Amino acid sequence: MDTPPLRPIRPAHRLRVLDDGQLADLRAATLTILDEVGVHCPSPEIRARYAAHGARVDAETGIVRLSPDLVLAAMARAPRGYTMGARSAAHDAVLDGTAMYTATDGCGVTMIDPATRRRRPSVAADVGDMARVADALPAVGFYWPMLSAGDHRATAPLHELLASYANTVKHVQTETVMGAPMARWAVEMARVVAGDEATMRARPMLSALICTIAPLAQDAEGMEGAMVLARAGVPVGFMSMATTGSTAPATIAGTLALGDAEIVAALALVQLEVPGAPVFHSLMTGVMDPRSGGYLATSRDGALAYTAGIEIAHHWGVPVLAGVYGTDAPAPGWQSAAEAAVALTVGALLGAETGSGMGLLDGCTVCYPEQLVLDADLHERVRANLAALDTSPEAIALDVIRRVGPRAHFLYEPHTRDGMRRLEFSALTGQVAADGSARDAVDVARAEVDRILATHHPDPLDPAQSRELERIVAAADADLGAATAAAGGRS
Amino acid sequence: MHGTSDTTGGTVGAPTFSPTPPLEPIVSTRRVRFLDDEQLDRLQDAALHILETVGVRFPNARSLEILGDHGCAVDPATQVVRFPRDLVRRAVGLAPRTFTMAARNPAFDLALREGTSYFTTDGCGVAAIDPDTGLERPSRKEDVARMARIADALPSIGFMWPTVSAQDFGQTAQLHEIDAAANNTVKHVQSMVQGEAIARYAVEMATVLAGSREALRERPMLSNLVCSIAPLAQDHAGLEAALVLAESGIPVGFMSMPTLGTTAPATSAGALAMGDAEAISGIVLLQLAYPGTPVFHSILKAWADPRTGTYVGYSIDGRARYAPVEIAHHWGLPSLAGCFGTDSAAPGTWQSAAEVAIDPILGAMAGAEIVTGMGLDRTYTLLYPEAILLDDDLYQRARHALLAERVDDETLALDVIAAVGPGGHFLAEEHTRTFMRTALKRGLTHEMAGHGHYRDPVEVARERAARIRAGHHPEPLPDAVRDELARILAAAGRELG
Repeated sequence: MDTPPLRPIRPAHRLRVLDDGQLADLRAATLTILDEVGVHCPSPEIRARYAAHGARVDAETGIVRLSPDLVLAAMARAPRGYTMGARSAAHDAVLDGTAMYTATDGCGVTMIDPATRRRRPSVAADVGDMARVADALPAVGFYWPMLSAGDHRATAPLHELLASYANTVKHVQTETVMGAPMARWAVEMARVVAGDEATMRARPMLSALICTIAPLAQDAEGMEGAMVLARAGVPVGFMSMATTGSTAPATIAGTLALGDAEIVAALALVQLEVPGAPVFHSLMTGVMDPRSGGYLATSRDGALAYTAGIEIAHHWGVPVLAGVYGTDAPAPGWQSAAEAAVALTVGALLGAETGSGMGLLDGCTVCYPEQLVLDADLHERVRANLAALDTSPEAIALDVIRRVGPRAHFLYEPHTRDGMRRLEFSALTGQVAADGSARDAVDVARAEVDRILATHHPDPLDPAQSRELERIVAAADADLGAATAAAGGRS
Repeated sequence: MHGTSDTTGGTVGAPTFSPTPPLEPIVSTRRVRFLDDEQLDRLQDAALHILETVGVRFPNARSLEILGDHGCAVDPATQVVRFPRDLVRRAVGLAPRTFTMAARNPAFDLALREGTSYFTTDGCGVAAIDPDTGLERPSRKEDVARMARIADALPSIGFMWPTVSAQDFGQTAQLHEIDAAANNTVKHVQSMVQGEAIARYAVEMATVLAGSREALRERPMLSNLVCSIAPLAQDHAGLEAALVLAESGIPVGFMSMPTLGTTAPATSAGALAMGDAEAISGIVLLQLAYPGTPVFHSILKAWADPRTGTYVGYSIDGRARYAPVEIAHHWGLPSLAGCFGTDSAAPGTWQSAAEVAIDPILGAMAGAEIVTGMGLDRTYTLLYPEAILLDDDLYQRARHALLAERVDDETLALDVIAAVGPGGHFLAEEHTRTFMRTALKRGLTHEMAGHGHYRDPVEVARERAARIRAGHHPEPLPDAVRDELARILAAAGRELG
């Protein structure tokens, strides 16, 4: 079945939330942190690469310090834009600064079963089902495997990729592939999907997000995996989730500077190792609840902290993955819409190239399938609101207004018939039940999920590609599963 | 606070009163120009063209006389008035770009200026969920009084629209709405008065509130909104009221409500141009009658559901929020932007947030001076006690998103970051203790329920509404003022029924 064309947000307007002086101050702070405080790098292999490029490495503490000159020179090599390829070229996400593509959220661990409506641990089939839902929604620009393939233990990330590629033609971004061995298997899969090396480089169909560890630390497996992916041409982004008050200073500016330093330390090494490699920057801060110590993705001023990271990324000259949908709501409802709307609007106005977070609730852990449809509706609202207003003579319709005149109506006009067809109404609100009452939007979204799961089957992988991907995953199961078993645990 | 409700919804015998918290308007240093000059010129030119060639119906003899005397082409048979372009430009040029919407307590005066957005309650609903029974019933004066007290307690509310109609007072409902509002908030009140007789009583009430005719002109504590009737018609009673109120210096705004597909072209630009022509025609009338009188401009466009023909306040495309603001400013007029007022039948639903959540940020980024309207559901018709608290939370999210960020040595905290270093934590830092007190702006969504969980925000909103209702009693009107208002209402009741 055809996958509808993507409908990214193409804002006709732009906003600035930080002025040039503030951006300069934040960059200076980042450079100072990297030069004087440094980041902790637990991987000897990665430390060696840092040292080879001129960073100051303290082997005893594992701290790596980078001079401002080294950082600036490295970051200058990063491309400002590139293409995140899709199985169907028509669904490529072209990061050229004109559009914002939004993705699903990822790596949830609990699924609300669409059939039973009961909570259960997520499995690989859920990743595939939600990929089909995402494939059917024009608002979803690319796909994060939404859930953890909990039925596949050590190689879950590869099974998540397999389920994703089999069920959507859109670009897939992994946020769970970690470590060099896993990354090598993922690269093999990406090469199979791309078909040839030239396509893999020009339109990579896989990208990866690696998280840093606040404050100012890297994950050994994350960094080792990132280098494998970057060398293969897979776009790699780094996300800091610095949390105001616990893993970051209790001020937004301090949190931004610290998180930026974590991201830039990693991005700089990618550029030093693979000059010109496609990368992205993602500063998705949180705030600690001072009463409980809990992590909050959102607060009243959360949109400001979320969106400031977009301008910081652009100041470095790299594309951004903006946090735009994160919600702490436990279930679909008022809160899930309230928390997402402002950040998405401001993010788009700031020119974010990509954003993620659609479809998960409860701090990005629980998947209510209908939430993806609800979030897609929010995307459409923001898209429509930020588009340019058509003020052409046809749109102003003076001849029609003149013909109708005062105190009449426009119902009979051909212009009305044409115009009404072009107007965009929500498919979720204003829906009328058989008894004439208004249907609840969440119920409508749930029915839409059922409809998609029953009827939408995107263009399948070529059978040869499919067999090859399955062979790769089976080999990885044997390799990494055995390795994990030998190590006496699960990853 | 102690006191008992009297029949006006005010309080008597109250020894103390609750302080009204300072206003928190959205001050948008982060501005966006949504329409470029060429688009604004094109839209304005279209409005001028409509006014000149199509005209607007003015079903009011005095208005026709004023407009005719100043050079408009008046067709007495159809009551359609056509406006020469130059006259429109000249008349609109007489209107002040800014003015003050005064409040009973001068600390709450609204000095209108582009870039500072004062929001109001919604109005004028016709049904209310009774806070005691939880059942829907026709709205009453007591609902207006209750909402005025809640509005008084919320820093997000800059001025008060009577949220619902005082239907228990028949023909004088609009006057009782003013009375209930004036008795229960120290903030500015914006009414929706119609008809000459009612307007004259409203002027009397506003004069009593201000202290004198001169004081009313200087610091009007009442303003008024008049709706036109799309397409391209004014309302007789609205015009009567507008002329009476403007004569006394009370600011008057004209709002057009074009509905795409039924009372307006099915294209946004056409609806905006036509709605602009309606609003401007009313403003021209007032400027010709009373040059320099304070006025404001408003277009609230809506859509006809193509399947049912019903009025839809929110389509996917809500560009209604910012375009009218920029159109008003292009004329050099203050703008009343239309925000909030979900089509959802009840508050606290996904729809009720999804539809309105980006309204305040769009309206504020466009620089609207005054903005409607928090607290109603079912497309501006139904009042739930908790709805305004939920809308207030959305407002505060938008306000915070537009606050200027502080980037300096203290907030960058490089010394603290260096002291903690990689892999540590910030919990023990003095800097954290100092700034954590204000780091989390806790809205409805982050009230602790115990065990690390948070309470249902809708439940929290309901509880806060009840708490304000029980505990917030703003400074009462002086006894003499309150009694005089009551005398005016009694006289109006006798005359008008």
